[in-house]
Amino acid sequence: MQQFFQQLSDGLVLGALYALIALGYTMVYGIVQLINFAHGEIFMVGAFGGYTLYHYVLPSSLPSGIALLLVLLVAMLTSALLAAFVERVAYRPLRNAPRLAPLITAIGVSIALQESIRLFYPNGSVGKPFPQLFPRGTVDLGGVTLTYVDLFVISLALVLMLTLRTFVFRSATGRAMRATAQDPDTARLMGVDTDRIIVITFVLGGLLAGAAGVLQGMIASPIDFKIGFIAGLKAFTAAVLGGIGNITGAVLGGFTLGIVEALATQYVPNGSALKDSFAFVVLVLVLVFRPTGLLGESVRSRA
Amino acid sequence: MTAALLDRVATSAERLRSHGTRLSPSLAAAAFVLVVVGTNLPWATFSGFPGLMSLALYPAGSRIYVLALAPALALVAVRFSRRRQAGLAATLALLAVVVQTIIAIARDGGGLVNVSVGAWVTLLGALLGVAAFVALPDDGAPLPRSWPVLPALVEALAVVFAVAASLALLVYALDVEAPSQFVGFLLALGGGLVALNRLGLFEWLGALYARRQALTLVLMAAAAVTFPFTQGGSSYWLRVAANVGVFAAAAIGLNVVVGLAGLLDLGYIAFFGVGAYVAALYGNAGLGPSRGHLPFLAVIVLGALVSGLVGVLIGAPTLRLRGDYLAIVTLGFGEIFHTLVNTYDAYTGGPNGLSNIPDLRQGSFDFGLPHTVFGVELAGFANYYYLELVLVALVMFVFARLNASRIGRAWVAIREDELAASAMGINTVSYKLLAFGIGATLAGASGTVQAHVATQVSPDSFVFLQSVFLLAAVVLGGMGTVPGAVVGAAILIAVPEKLRAFSDYRLLLFGLLLVILMRFRPEGMIPSRRRQREFHDADGADALSAPPGSAVA
Repeated sequence: MQQFFQQLSDGLVLGALYALIALGYTMVYGIVQLINFAHGEIFMVGAFGGYTLYHYVLPSSLPSGIALLLVLLVAMLTSALLAAFVERVAYRPLRNAPRLAPLITAIGVSIALQESIRLFYPNGSVGKPFPQLFPRGTVDLGGVTLTYVDLFVISLALVLMLTLRTFVFRSATGRAMRATAQDPDTARLMGVDTDRIIVITFVLGGLLAGAAGVLQGMIASPIDFKIGFIAGLKAFTAAVLGGIGNITGAVLGGFTLGIVEALATQYVPNGSALKDSFAFVVLVLVLVFRPTGLLGESVRSRA
Repeated sequence: MTAALLDRVATSAERLRSHGTRLSPSLAAAAFVLVVVGTNLPWATFSGFPGLMSLALYPAGSRIYVLALAPALALVAVRFSRRRQAGLAATLALLAVVVQTIIAIARDGGGLVNVSVGAWVTLLGALLGVAAFVALPDDGAPLPRSWPVLPALVEALAVVFAVAASLALLVYALDVEAPSQFVGFLLALGGGLVALNRLGLFEWLGALYARRQALTLVLMAAAAVTFPFTQGGSSYWLRVAANVGVFAAAAIGLNVVVGLAGLLDLGYIAFFGVGAYVAALYGNAGLGPSRGHLPFLAVIVLGALVSGLVGVLIGAPTLRLRGDYLAIVTLGFGEIFHTLVNTYDAYTGGPNGLSNIPDLRQGSFDFGLPHTVFGVELAGFANYYYLELVLVALVMFVFARLNASRIGRAWVAIREDELAASAMGINTVSYKLLAFGIGATLAGASGTVQAHVATQVSPDSFVFLQSVFLLAAVVLGGMGTVPGAVVGAAILIAVPEKLRAFSDYRLLLFGLLLVILMRFRPEGMIPSRRRQREFHDADGADALSAPPGSAVA
């Protein structure tokens, strides 16, 4: 039983990470109906941005709390800028192209970003040990051990998600985003600059992905150019699981997927070798039995 | 301030344009002289650079490509629209070849001092050439909407010439040894093709092909059959060609799924892998549990059937989904296949895969041994090459018949608008399942051959990137056309083979290629006419009013 709760809490940590990345997928999908295949790579580049700052720029005498804050900020900015850039250069010209075209472009962007890091980052094909800036230590909750880092990951993820939720549901820009997601043409008639809203959506997704990149570095240290691929797929699964286009759903889907994965790794025979396959099994099951996801309204098929 | 400056730049550009008609011919003539003189002077101060660049009066290597592009300068004297675009394409390619060669010489020789006078003269000529076309106004008579039908003999000769020229270019390209020279060749070829395309050559060839289909096909088949005889018993390029065949067959299969039915399958390589493992386990390697083995033809059929069955099993629950969900689910299945093969290693050999798969044997005929035909010794790989040729021809036939059938039209209808298609009485799920199953079957069949060509199978040959590779072949060649997939596969396999020096950048270039293609030529190199109209909706009035006989290149 104790083991069960340990897996459950590990799943929560993993789930927080998936949820942060899934939000980027779900917001972009909600607005432009594009599976932003490169989102996983945007997360990965964010992690590298943070690593670069720490490794090459910051003086080592800096207190680790300030360093962590700066690393986090730079990672978020890197991802956000990259996301905006990719939108501008690769996706916007294809706004009215047949559906398949932007999806194929997204795959191309994803590969190009991975390979750029591998080839052009100094010694990029080797994993980078991510700086451990948070105090080590564990909390014991009735037999279940959580590290301080675990708690930090979960709480930072929750704070960011709540901030996003407030932004989307309380601010004027958030309202414009929701309007664009509902009906871009009508939103434009109402005076919403939809191009700007789309960029903002990509930027928001990038900010969260960059933060997730740092958290990933904190819980699974060496970061390399490949971390975005699997993480991106799982986050997409989380987004679909929660109901794509639905912000609360992405969070719920992220945590659910994290927990399912942690439990399955423990209890399915040969589970740790199959670790990365569970997400796909979940994805297929969801799509077959409840294609709208846990919280999804009906998925409108807008051609 | 800035606005005023911009205004002045704009007016002077405008003035330059209006003087262009007078200015351009002299610029082009000067450029031509400089290029011809420059290519006959030495380009490098040291000997040993590929193409004998240190010799005067001996244009070889990249200097040949520069000279071959130079006649395009004459386009300033021809008055018809698009001459400016064609000329720009050719002169920019010329400039690119010169610059690229200068960089290569400087790199090999250790600095720009080792670049000799000829290169600089040619560079100046190239710049003048580009200027000549930049200054040229875009006027003149438009290209004819439909091409005149020439006498049968002339058209037949043109077809023969086009096929022979392609074959000669191919054989020549394979012979270019130095990577730097090959890059120059690609630049020149690319620029030349774009220029010719602007001049309407490919539209004409397309129309010609439509009228002389049988002749073209026979000639192409003949060219394909003679290819091994040009290789002098060496097996290197035959091995590459056999690989092209394997991937072309799989790419055509993927084209059924992506190009015709519009279903993006990102785990397609898994079906290919199923075929390969079936061949390794039950072919004459006999690595399966029973240790027995089946004759080759039975293995192909078995591999195709098993793969098709897997395709239907995967497709049945997922094909109800919208297109982009399907992409992710198929990707997931591809990864699951990889993980399963990796993990359950009782028969699959786990991460090590299965190696030492022997050559194919059919009766007493061993595919691994060289054979002498008509007094010419053909290396062992010629057998696989011919086998692939048969397989590709078969797959092409299946594709062409499907495309022209009621089924093909149903697929296209589904691709265009699923809702409308089902309202027209098409059972969309079963038709999509059919496309998925046929695609998987074709992939399985080519997978069985691949196991023998590569002599081994391992999980790492069947990963996501391989699926993207096949997709890139389809997209590059042209979605929904038969020659497209073959050309795409040939380019994506043969060109990296030539550019081994840059092999580290292969994937990066793939990724960028996909992005750039989708942006500028989403219909691919050899588009189907339907596709081209779909992708160029805005300027579509032109395409829609084209007479039915005129194919689009």
